[in-house]
Amino acid sequence: MTLRFQKSTSKKVLLKDFLGKSQMFSLALKNILFYKGRSVTTFFLTFVSTLLFIVYVSMTDGSHKSMLENALKIYTGAIEIYKKGYRDIGGNEYLIDDIATITKKLSKVEGIESFSSRYETYGLLSTDEYSSASMVAGIEPFKEKKISSISKALIEGKFLNENSQNCLYAGEGLVKRLKIKLNNEVAFIGGASDDSFAADIFRLCGIFKTGSFEFDSTVSFVARSYFDELMLSHNKASYITIKVDNLENVDNINRQITKMLNDDTLESLTWKTLMKTMVEAMEVDSIFGYISLALFLVVIFFVIMIYGFVNISSRIKEFGVLESIGLSNTNIMKLLFYEIFILTTLAILLVTPIASYICYYYSVNPIIIEGISDMYKDYGIVSDEIPFDFTPFTIFWNVILIYVLNILSVVYPYFYIRSFTPIEATRHV
Amino acid sequence: MKKTVLSLLILTLSLMAGEADKIIKKVDENMRGENVSMEMTMKVVSHGHSRTIKMQSFSEGTEKSFTKILYPPKDRGITFLSLDNQMWQYVPKIERIIKIPPSMMLQNWMGSDITNDDMVKQSSLVDDYDAKVIQREDSIVTIELIPKEDAAVVWGKIVTNINTLNYTSVKDIFYDEDGLEVRYFIYKKVKKFGKYYIPTIWRVESVEKKDRYTEIILEDVKYDTEISKEYFKKSALKRFSR
Repeated sequence: MTLRFQKSTSKKVLLKDFLGKSQMFSLALKNILFYKGRSVTTFFLTFVSTLLFIVYVSMTDGSHKSMLENALKIYTGAIEIYKKGYRDIGGNEYLIDDIATITKKLSKVEGIESFSSRYETYGLLSTDEYSSASMVAGIEPFKEKKISSISKALIEGKFLNENSQNCLYAGEGLVKRLKIKLNNEVAFIGGASDDSFAADIFRLCGIFKTGSFEFDSTVSFVARSYFDELMLSHNKASYITIKVDNLENVDNINRQITKMLNDDTLESLTWKTLMKTMVEAMEVDSIFGYISLALFLVVIFFVIMIYGFVNISSRIKEFGVLESIGLSNTNIMKLLFYEIFILTTLAILLVTPIASYICYYYSVNPIIIEGISDMYKDYGIVSDEIPFDFTPFTIFWNVILIYVLNILSVVYPYFYIRSFTPIEATRHV
Repeated sequence: MKKTVLSLLILTLSLMAGEADKIIKKVDENMRGENVSMEMTMKVVSHGHSRTIKMQSFSEGTEKSFTKILYPPKDRGITFLSLDNQMWQYVPKIERIIKIPPSMMLQNWMGSDITNDDMVKQSSLVDDYDAKVIQREDSIVTIELIPKEDAAVVWGKIVTNINTLNYTSVKDIFYDEDGLEVRYFIYKKVKKFGKYYIPTIWRVESVEKKDRYTEIILEDVKYDTEISKEYFKKSALKRFSR
């Protein structure tokens, strides 16, 4: 009896020495090869879930960026310069007085793709029978084409040019309200920039539809060269709108502009301030996106964990034997960890390039659903492209998260094994 | 005892409300007479710059008024007609008569601090608001005007200070629907024309725009004269524009 105990103790010590880290790794590798069915299934589950996860995140981020770009394309600039007070109080007292000097300074700022000044006023558009209040904006048509999608939102007639004279480019809703057709005349009355009375007859030259009901129902455009004569607004502007090379650099460019302007009476604002409501809406959308993503991940986690648990349940006898010959709990944990780590790593090594390629491909070649661009305009989206976002850092954290989830999935099965004594485990059927 | 106190309270309140209505009516009578014609000079001062508009106005009762711009030359001949709370405008430059839609009623009139609604709905102080005396100080009575439930008005509340010696306004404070002060009308230099008293200088200040005000000076005020009915027809807009 004593001899048997001594033999058993010495075997345990030997086994402990024998089973180092590398030995546990080799054992895990052997187990993976031995339990082929289990290994293939775990590999497949990890592969599919990682692929779906990376592509889903890329698509969500891409659609958010696209939403923002679309919104910025329609009318609002990435950066806009105002005289302080214009946005809160408004009125002719808060017009920018000397746009020539400001635009000269802007041309020296790096990162600005293009810019244009706009003169906006609220007036009344009226036919013999119908009248409607409208925001009439004097724009520089050539520059506006580079900055906004107003020209692309054309559905009938033509967009303005520098010599458009009294041509009016009006929103579809406004045109419906006034019940006018192309080339019909419409009277305009409003206040000029010096508060004197301004009135003219415009001719409807083009109709646009951006999809924004409010915008299409209230806004109309006239070429600045003509409008300035009527509104006495030469060298004045409600604001200057700016398009930047890269939206991600908008804060940096804005700082440069503020420094360059060096004028306390002016304020330069980015889209984050200008489109606060949209930013909030995107944040809410992101929260719901992440909730659904979290649910998706929980499902992945439980599928892998349950599968692993079922698998380990069938290996309890094996673990009982290993414990009986001296395998410690720590080594059992190591064994399980290595098994899931190897399988996850293999799956991720294979899936990451594939998923990255899909994200990259669709970021460069966005999905285009042809023929529905008109329908998209009803939702305020001028473009019918659905681009993906390709950001290596995002893919990296997606992969790390899958790693963490897979590793966590062996924790419960480990404690389940520990609930058995070696004798109970060896007798387990 | 409690019932007596309550009855007295209700009686006092209703008497105060009745008194307020009477005061408002008397002020309105002073402002309008049977009919009134006048010339007005309106000065809009903003950020140190000023702009002057001269106009001629005819009104009859609470529903009819006609206004013609006399100065500056650029705006001369623009005419406005208010009939039954509706407003039309004629612009000689484009030869069009334009009806001002309800959505434009809160827009500033001719770049001033008064609105299109002011041009049309001054009368509604009597019809559209419940008046209540809230303070007395010598001859000055402060009356609070709260819109009646079904009244289509733009103000949440108006508080008016009235001199009961001549039943003329001293100061009006206009509040929005949230109870915030929006603008003031300050009236000065009361003159007597026949049996009517009217302040001849009105100053309008906006709470939001501190650097700006509008001053209206009434001149050549004539009450209860023969005003041709032709002034209160739509055809007058074009006809009397010249």
